[in-house]
Amino acid sequence: MQDEAASRVLVCIQCGKCTGSCPESGRTPFNIRMLVRKKQFNYAIDESMPWYCTACNACTIRCPRDVKPSEMIIEIRASLVENGNIPLAIQKALENTFIHKNPWGKPRSKRGEWAEKLDFKVPHISETEHKRLLFLCCVQAYDPRCMIIPVNVAKLLNKAGYEFGILGEEECCCGNEIRRIGEFGLFEELMEENKANFREYSVKEIIALSPHCMNTLKNEYEDMGIKVMHYTEVLSNLIKEGLLKPEKPFEKEMIYHDPCFLGKQNKIFEQPRNILNNITNGKLKEFLRSREISLCCEGGGGRMFFEPEAQYKRNSETRVEEAKEKGAEIITTACPFCVMTLEEKAIEKGLAVKELSEILMEVI
Amino acid sequence: MDILVFVKRVAATQEEELRIIDEGKNIDLSKIPFKMNDWDNYAVEEAVKIVEGRGGSVTAISIGSAASDEVLRRAIAMGAKDGILIESNETIHDPVLRAISFYNFIKKEKIQFDAIFTGVQSEDDQFAATGGFLAGKMGLPYASMVIGIDAIENGYFVLRRELEGGLQERIKIKTPCVMSIQSGINEPRYVSIMGIRKASKVERKTVKFNDYAENGDAVIDLIKWSYPEKKGKATMLTGEVDAVCKELLEILKNKGVC
Repeated sequence: MQDEAASRVLVCIQCGKCTGSCPESGRTPFNIRMLVRKKQFNYAIDESMPWYCTACNACTIRCPRDVKPSEMIIEIRASLVENGNIPLAIQKALENTFIHKNPWGKPRSKRGEWAEKLDFKVPHISETEHKRLLFLCCVQAYDPRCMIIPVNVAKLLNKAGYEFGILGEEECCCGNEIRRIGEFGLFEELMEENKANFREYSVKEIIALSPHCMNTLKNEYEDMGIKVMHYTEVLSNLIKEGLLKPEKPFEKEMIYHDPCFLGKQNKIFEQPRNILNNITNGKLKEFLRSREISLCCEGGGGRMFFEPEAQYKRNSETRVEEAKEKGAEIITTACPFCVMTLEEKAIEKGLAVKELSEILMEVI
Repeated sequence: MDILVFVKRVAATQEEELRIIDEGKNIDLSKIPFKMNDWDNYAVEEAVKIVEGRGGSVTAISIGSAASDEVLRRAIAMGAKDGILIESNETIHDPVLRAISFYNFIKKEKIQFDAIFTGVQSEDDQFAATGGFLAGKMGLPYASMVIGIDAIENGYFVLRRELEGGLQERIKIKTPCVMSIQSGINEPRYVSIMGIRKASKVERKTVKFNDYAENGDAVIDLIKWSYPEKKGKATMLTGEVDAVCKELLEILKNKGVC
């Protein structure tokens, strides 16, 4: 349980690097530097403000005084959660996660339904030799758009002869978004349930499909002694070792969007690019704001469940416009939340958004 | 104002495909999560809001197995002062039996109150009857489907009941009374896990159902669970989009939809 504040608001020098980095700043009423200032003096904070934060972590990464403004946001949210004073959509996501172990309130019994789309059986982790777990998590297990990600990754791993297993309906939400919403108690419960399963089945490695899950499993599940990887790391290695061979040509112009939780927060920039450059013969296009300064799609930190009141131009639209200017036909990324936020705007402008595993399936 | 709220732990079945087992005698709930009955959640919130504004206390009471303690903890985390579990070994579905047990418990233990709130109905059995039976048994005035409490005057509630066609009826009801609370009357607050953990430290009283079951024979017996009879079926249209659209249009025209 989080007893002490992780943020350090009192050492803030109000330099403004946080607002300068924030994907919400200047376009929405959200002003992270102002919020830090208010916290320094214990001034009242408008309760709608913390919910704009997308948890991209740009402020924390760029802060010269290690104030950790993004952690401060989580702490403010936590006090609102404790008082039961939170937006209804967030409340529903939390209550669903408490009861059904996923924010959408889908039955746990259907958590393994995606595997029915495969023409081979994925073993339960207990039946595997290497104890290498493919961690699905909620959006990949239930969302009709994102269910293709585990299907593709399972097919690719299987093709490479890379053994893996799943937890099926025993798996529960990783809690990455739940922690960022400020529900530390629920995060702790989810973590303990997942960790108990990891221990029971002697899991040695975890392959996470979403960068959000990878982030929390790797950095926030305390020391488990388990190697946690994003699937692009694994597939990049398998291609390098020649166990997976992209054989068909990929003719379309493609641009890669760095997910915040994969790129700037966990420094996984090269592996997705290695895969995509291999496919495009090095012709992968890049956004002006890529890698460490990639523009957040606004799908993190609980924003997948909550729409703020203010009307403003979404980053996904800015992203799609730039992709179009650069002559891309396809935006690719390696995060389910980025896929969904970008796709909404891309369809309007006649562009396609494909998750990286979808691209790989076309060429292997 | 002292308010008793009856809360029930129910299976969260909305999205589940339920399976009938034991030759129709049971449904398989072994893998289904449980929660507080939705209508009771609104009832607790309404009671807590009243007490927060006027003072007094809210006591949550539940009939069920030991696991029902979790709905008492939730009610306490929402603002109830305490919780009482009338522990039964088996699930009591019969609303008359539930009402009689509540009645016996209140009388025998001389529980003081100004109002009793129940949810309009429970998500599992949907009898919508416990509140009415209880009021009848206790000889108290009863208001069902309460969608708003507008005023609490000296010895009266002024409240609105939800009627058919979106109509509402404003009535005055004398206290002490029983009312069944409709969903939508308020927005129940979020209860954090930390709040529930803190509520665990509040002592809850447990009594035995059998000690309060006199004159309480079930009047409704379960005969058999059954799946609803299948009526009609979906027609899948296949082929080229243009042809499928034409076919669909034809079907809609024939059905008089367009």
